Amino acid sequence: MTRTYLIRFCNFVILALVQVLIFSNIHLFGYATAYIYLLFILKLPRLTSRNELLMWGFFLGLIVDIFGNTPGINAMAATAVAFTRNSIMSAFITKETADDFIPSVHNVGVARYLSYALVCLLQFYILLFILELFTINYPIPLLINVSSSCLLTMLFIAVAEFFTRK
Amino acid sequence: MQVLLNFFIKHNHWFLFLLLEGISFMLIVRFNNYQSASFFTATNRVAGDVYSMITNVNAYFGLKKENEELLKHNLDLTKELTELQEQLATLTAREALDSNAVYERNRERYLFNTARVVNNSLNSFNNYIVLDKGTADGVHPEMGVFGNDGVVGVIYTASEHYSLVVPLLNSKSNISCRVRNNDNFCTLQWDGEDISYSYLIDLPRYTKFEQGDTVVTSGFSSIFPGDIPVGIIDRVEESKNGMFYRARVKILTDFASLNSVYVIGNRGYEEQQELENKKP
Repeated sequence: MTRTYLIRFCNFVILALVQVLIFSNIHLFGYATAYIYLLFILKLPRLTSRNELLMWGFFLGLIVDIFGNTPGINAMAATAVAFTRNSIMSAFITKETADDFIPSVHNVGVARYLSYALVCLLQFYILLFILELFTINYPIPLLINVSSSCLLTMLFIAVAEFFTRK
Repeated sequence: MQVLLNFFIKHNHWFLFLLLEGISFMLIVRFNNYQSASFFTATNRVAGDVYSMITNVNAYFGLKKENEELLKHNLDLTKELTELQEQLATLTAREALDSNAVYERNRERYLFNTARVVNNSLNSFNNYIVLDKGTADGVHPEMGVFGNDGVVGVIYTASEHYSLVVPLLNSKSNISCRVRNNDNFCTLQWDGEDISYSYLIDLPRYTKFEQGDTVVTSGFSSIFPGDIPVGIIDRVEESKNGMFYRARVKILTDFASLNSVYVIGNRGYEEQQELENKKP
């Protein structure tokens, strides 16, 4: 139990560092920014309690915010994703799996896993960019930002997925 | 109570979610300049709309008081306007007097005063004019009154602030006149018919005058100085008994539009009165 949390905490720190030190600095074409730290939320075991998910999501987002100098924006979007993650997951993954089941390309299939990730990411990015622009009066830039960032992040997630061992 | 507690426990993740999102939102609007500006501008607009609505409603309750204040203000302004107009009229009259030829010639011997006509009758046999200056302004009976065009009449009586003028258009008016370029003096009398014409009576037959000659004051009375224009001879006829001429004179002063006049008085008036009162 303690070991599980220790590993989880290490993952948390590593992902946060990678995010703020590398990925947060990449703004492809001025539109796309990859927030791969969401991988942490996606990869939490199936029956993680909502409260725990919320706490992880919030603090992860908060750390990214602190380093990215955007207080609250990532925290809010990540908290929202953490809140809905269990519902989204149950839509794509059958309930007959173990409680600590961690979804990956290898055990649920490429299509299902990427759809699951895409839904989470879409939700995250729409919220994120609405908060960042703080208006919905400019839907075209919003759409470009959301779709390009989603694509880029999906690309990184897929790469990460295929390079992890079975 | 139990049910409520169970509800809270069962849905505690909702509260945590709302709490965390609330904290995030506070962070956003607290620490991001752009977002906080947008947020507070938006909320300010809402607050501003509410406030303006309240003000609009409140304004209706204050209308009565507002109205009274406006009326009072209006009254004050009207009063001030009247006063200023009065002052302006006085100054204008004074200025006109300064450029008047009669004033130029006689200002050392005579006292001049400006006055305004406050009442004026034209259609009776004995007309009168009321001026807005009285004894308080140095206007006394037996002072002369003339306008820019010519003689108007003589002050008959004066109260403290008003005075009554017997104008040329009064059958009792007797102004000592002469025809310019001629030393014989004669008297101007009105026949009570046409307000544009008066008559010179008792013109000796040997005097020489023509139609178009100007009639001026003679200067023999103590009321008027000499050479103030009165009228222009219009027609000459013989008097009823054939001993004298009688001349119809076109009066120069337009009594129908008379507004501002000058009052002229002998500087020695009071002294003269005093002296005359000492007569045995």
